[in-house]
Amino acid sequence: MDESKKRLVQRLMRKIPTKMLKTTLEKWGRLTGEQQRAMDSIQSKWALTENLLAICEENELAVKHLTELEMIYMIDNPDQGMWYAFQLTDPGDDAQSVDLTQFKEQFKSHLRELVREVSIKIKKHTDEAVWIRIAWGDASSHPDHLKPTYVVHYLQTPYVFVTRLTSKQKPMLSQAMVLSTRYQYFKDANLSGRNLTAIRDLLMRKYQQVFPTKYPSPLTERKQTVTNPHVEREQAKPAANRLQMACEAFGGGTLPQLQSAVYKLETKFRDHTNTLMTEREEPFRCVVKFSSTNLLESLKNCASSGIASTPVTPLLSSIPLKGKNYFVITDNGPGPSSQMRQTQN
Amino acid sequence: MSAADETPDMERHQNSVMRTPLNSVAVQRRSKNKSYRLSYRNRIGAASRLGLTPGLTARRLNTSRKAPKSNKITVTTEQLTLLVKTEWKLSYVTPLYRFRHTQLKIYSRQLSAFIAAEKQQGLAVDVEGTQNTFRVSFSLVLGMTESVDDAVTVHIQIHSKPLFAKQDEPQKPVWSGWLTCINGNPEYLRSLPKDFICLPLFCSSGAGGLTSLVKSWFQQSFDCCFGPLEISHTSLQWLMALWTNCQSESSIRQLKMIWTLPVEPQLQVTYTVDAEDAWELWSSVRKKNTAGEGEENSIDIEEVMSFMQGLKAHFFRHFRLDLSAGSLNEVSTALGSAKHSGMIKFSNSKYMITTLMLLTECALLKMPI
Repeated sequence: MDESKKRLVQRLMRKIPTKMLKTTLEKWGRLTGEQQRAMDSIQSKWALTENLLAICEENELAVKHLTELEMIYMIDNPDQGMWYAFQLTDPGDDAQSVDLTQFKEQFKSHLRELVREVSIKIKKHTDEAVWIRIAWGDASSHPDHLKPTYVVHYLQTPYVFVTRLTSKQKPMLSQAMVLSTRYQYFKDANLSGRNLTAIRDLLMRKYQQVFPTKYPSPLTERKQTVTNPHVEREQAKPAANRLQMACEAFGGGTLPQLQSAVYKLETKFRDHTNTLMTEREEPFRCVVKFSSTNLLESLKNCASSGIASTPVTPLLSSIPLKGKNYFVITDNGPGPSSQMRQTQN
Repeated sequence: MSAADETPDMERHQNSVMRTPLNSVAVQRRSKNKSYRLSYRNRIGAASRLGLTPGLTARRLNTSRKAPKSNKITVTTEQLTLLVKTEWKLSYVTPLYRFRHTQLKIYSRQLSAFIAAEKQQGLAVDVEGTQNTFRVSFSLVLGMTESVDDAVTVHIQIHSKPLFAKQDEPQKPVWSGWLTCINGNPEYLRSLPKDFICLPLFCSSGAGGLTSLVKSWFQQSFDCCFGPLEISHTSLQWLMALWTNCQSESSIRQLKMIWTLPVEPQLQVTYTVDAEDAWELWSSVRKKNTAGEGEENSIDIEEVMSFMQGLKAHFFRHFRLDLSAGSLNEVSTALGSAKHSGMIKFSNSKYMITTLMLLTECALLKMPI
């Protein structure tokens, strides 16, 4: 067996946890019943790898079969590494009519025109998503199957999600995408996160939104130790208000899991107690990064607990509203698409 | 420099000599059980506790300090490289009883023997179990003092061979630490009995097991005690101001603050301000310097607070989120970084002294009564 195939098997086995191996191999369907049973009985990762290598030899499985196994695992477990959202803009007249077969054919041929040594695999997933695995090579080297780029595109929508793409590969992917989807531009959507479903839901507005009219009384009864009923009544209303506004800004139910949001502030420093700085012409340059295991949940809690004043500032509510987590804030727009105008004060 | 050739230098450092008598007379200890652990607040505060002199305010952090100046350090570059660019874990130490700056060679031997003995007891994992796997060297860091009352800084380094090293492989440094006192309160330092050396700030870096061994050796040998030294919110703000103040001389590259807000799940805010803009904001909150030509430029706590207030207000104006509800955990610039958990890193030796002055003060305050 050649070295590259062996390394691919080893890499795959390292990546797939033992408890998920059985279902992944079953979905792959390249093993005979007997081989599958033999794999199930082995405990150690090392022995499993050796056994799979032997099976690959025996069944004459090639690299393309192994990449298939990788894709199956990746589709089921996409939350590995950072995903970046892109948006296709300015659709052509026929953009809505592109179907899977057409897209597959065109994408492959366009990308192959740009990069000679490239290995592309396209697979349609049940939720209308098209998964593309690209192993890049160049004039002097064969496609590197150990560092593939993954692209997830929802046909007939302008949304594309990408992981493990280098800046050198980006223009090529961009061109192939634009040509095969009949759009004009492939733009950075300024949204990234570790959880693919979350950034997809944010960008495609699939999370549970809360509208002022529809929302039922948010107060839930809670048994508490003896408190002053007057104080409680006094506080209940603002608390309910804050929660309502927090939900309107960030959504109700389970919120999409986002890890961070970055704001590049290039706004004037305004503080009535500091005339020296307020009179300064130049903007005050700073970068603010919010991070959490579930950013939207944290921000919602900030608003409902009163740490953040309500109504929530448009800067923060723009994360779910615009489906972005990277913003450049300036005092006077209009600027590039990622810019926002600071309207307060 | 090594312990061997220190004597001539000691002569120049009159103060240290005074505190470490070369041919000391054995001091009679009054009682076996009585501890000589002396604390700052003990001495400074004793009078005020009795209600005699309420005037002493030394129990609080200074509200004014000198602006950092560069190039004050006269330490050799070789020794400086041992102190900068490493992240140190901070502790405070109570005054050392009968510690002599002239006996570092003996201490080196004693500590390495102590470590070897402790390791053999099976308190820590050491498969080999052979002696002399750890080589300890004590040395003096001369020139790193601010006032005449400061005792000379002591640097300790532990070398060891990796477990499965080849015979001829050289020993590698596995642990280092130092004890220092920069601009310690002179009133307190002078009030100490003559057999005590005050080096209240202990910085360590390396395996935690070795840190505790070094600490217990010091405790046993010099009847002192150690405790963790956290960098308070106020001290972090002081560092922000002191570092930003250096921008006109040496670029701080950026001023970075990390806050955590108490919500579920915890929210972390990293607020990074452009160096030049941070400096302009800092200059705008500085009071008119009333000091005449040539006089020390001092920084006031009010200025530090206004600086912070300005930064918080700018943040609030955008996000309507009150940073005061959270806690400041970390500050960093190109000159260094400091964490609330008690970690410090000096990235530029030029401004080290100012930072160490603040930390010495914190260490003295933290000592138990």
